[in-house]
Amino acid sequence: MPDGTMTQTAIASGLTPQELEVARLIVSALSLEVAPEAIEPEAPLFNEGLGLDSIDALEMALAVSKAYDVKLRSDDERNHRIFASLRSLTAHIEKHRTR
Amino acid sequence: MGWFGMRPEAVLPLVNREAGEVICHRPTGPVTVGRLLGEARALAARLPAAGHTINLCADRYRMLLGFTAALLRGHPTLLNADASPHRLRALAEAYPGTYLLADKPVASELPLVLVEDKAAEDWTGPVPMLPAAQLAAIAFTSGSTGQPTAHRKPWDALVAAALAAAERFALRPSDGPPGSVLATVPPQHMYGFETTIMLPLQAALACHTGEAFFPSDVLDALDGLPPRRLLVTTPLHLRALLAERRRPAPLAAVISATAPLAMSMAEAVERDWGAPMLEIYGASEAGSMASRRTALEPDWLPYPGIGMGQGEVHVPGLGAVPLADAVEPAPGGRFRLLGRRADLVKPGGRRASLADLNRVLMEVTGVEDGVFVAPEDIERNPAARLSAYVVAPGRSAEEILAALRLRLEPVFLPRPLVLVPALPRNGLGKLTRAALAELRLAAATP
Repeated sequence: MPDGTMTQTAIASGLTPQELEVARLIVSALSLEVAPEAIEPEAPLFNEGLGLDSIDALEMALAVSKAYDVKLRSDDERNHRIFASLRSLTAHIEKHRTR
Repeated sequence: MGWFGMRPEAVLPLVNREAGEVICHRPTGPVTVGRLLGEARALAARLPAAGHTINLCADRYRMLLGFTAALLRGHPTLLNADASPHRLRALAEAYPGTYLLADKPVASELPLVLVEDKAAEDWTGPVPMLPAAQLAAIAFTSGSTGQPTAHRKPWDALVAAALAAAERFALRPSDGPPGSVLATVPPQHMYGFETTIMLPLQAALACHTGEAFFPSDVLDALDGLPPRRLLVTTPLHLRALLAERRRPAPLAAVISATAPLAMSMAEAVERDWGAPMLEIYGASEAGSMASRRTALEPDWLPYPGIGMGQGEVHVPGLGAVPLADAVEPAPGGRFRLLGRRADLVKPGGRRASLADLNRVLMEVTGVEDGVFVAPEDIERNPAARLSAYVVAPGRSAEEILAALRLRLEPVFLPRPLVLVPALPRNGLGKLTRAALAELRLAAATP
C-alpha cells in the first residue's frame, strides 16, 4: 500500500506509484546499489542503462512471478519492449497481474 | 595422439546416425539428419575459402548447421558467444581469416555469413568422414582478462567425449528409443556445446531449438518434446524452475553443471519432479569428465576413457590436461572433489581468477588501488556477485564500472563497487582475509 511519503517521492522522481513499487522489487531482488527512486523510468534496464545481465533477468522473472503471478516469457513478441525500461515492464505487469 | 590407438590419418564419421533420424525439434517442426547435412552442404559452399569461424548463432539449430558446414570445409569453430567489438577484434587478431556466422546482423568489421532458413536438397549417399585429427573447435577460458586461453578440440576428442556421454546417459542407439534434450545453456559454452551440438551428432538424441530462458519457456517447451526428455541446465536456472512449483513433463534425467548443486535442490528435483538429478563435472579445457547422481552419490564416476590423476586428467584425444580442482580417489573407481584451488571464482557459472580481475581493475584510468572480493556464499548461492573496493580519487563508481564493462563479461562486474580512501594493506602490501572482512563490514554499515 503506497503511503503518503512514498507517493510524494514517486512524484518527485517522475515515477508513478506502480513504477516505484516495481522499482523497489527490482532493487531488492537484485541487491542493486541504487535507490528505487533514482531509476530512470525510460532508461534501458539491461546493458548500458541499469547494467543488468542474464542472471538478473532470471532473478527478476522469479520476483515478478512471486509478487504479481505474471510469467515472463522469451517467446513473447513484445519481450524486447517489455524489458526496454522500468516503464514498459510496469505496464506489462499492470496488464497481466492477477494479484 | 590418436583416439583408442588409431593412427593419425584415421577418419571418423561427422554423424553417427541414419539420414532419416530426427536431430532437432525446431518450433517449425522436426529436422532430420539428411536435411541438416543437405543444408550444411549448401551453407558450406557460401563460406570463405579458408579461416576460422566465430559462430554467434543464438538459434541452436543454426549453431549446429553452421558448425556442421564449417566441419565440411575444415574450418575450426571458435566457441565464443561474446559479440562485443573488443572481443571479436581480439579473436580476429589471434586467428587469421576469422569470419562470423550469425543469425542476425552483428556490429563488426569482420566478414559475416548470415545463417538463414534456406531450402536445400536432403543429403543422400554416404555419411561425410572427417580426419580424426581435424581441429574442429577451440574453447576459451577466463573471459576476464582480454587475453583468453585457447583449448584446441580435435574431432576425435569431441567424438570420444560424445560417445562416452552417450554410454553414461544411455543414449546409444541400442539403449532404447531416441531421447530429446532441452538446454538452458548456450551452445557456445563447452557444456552446452557437448550436450546439444556434439551429442545429437553422435548419439540417439534430438535437440530442442526454440527459446528456453525463462522458467515458463522451459516448462512449456518440455511439454512439447517427445518422451525420454533430458533437461540440461545450471543451478541458477534450476532454482528459478523449482520456484515455479509446477511439475514439468516427465523427465528421463535432469543434468546440471557449471557450479556445485545444493543438496536441497538435488533432493527437490528427485522428490517433486520424480527425475534422477545428475551432475556433470567438467571444464572447458578437458570437457565433461565425470558424473554423479547428487542425492545418492557423494563421489564422481569418471566417463569411460577418462583417467583422473594428481593435478591433471587424461582425456582421450587430448592427452594430459591440468585440473583446476584438487581430487582424491574414492571407492569403486570414483573420485571425490576436494575443492577449487585458491583464487578461482565462478559467478554465474563463468570462471575467472581474482588475480586476473584485479589486474583488469588496476588498468582502469584513475584507479590507484583496488581489489575484487568474493562473498562467503559464492559456492552455494548461484546468484552470488563479486564486490570490489577501489581507491580512485576524483572518479565515480559509475565511471569505473563503465570502463570495466568494456573489458569484463557482465557476470564479473562488481556489485557493489565501493570507493574507499585506501585499502587496508599490511606491511607486506598484502590484503589479509581479516582486513577484507572488516572492509566488507564497514561498507555494509552506512
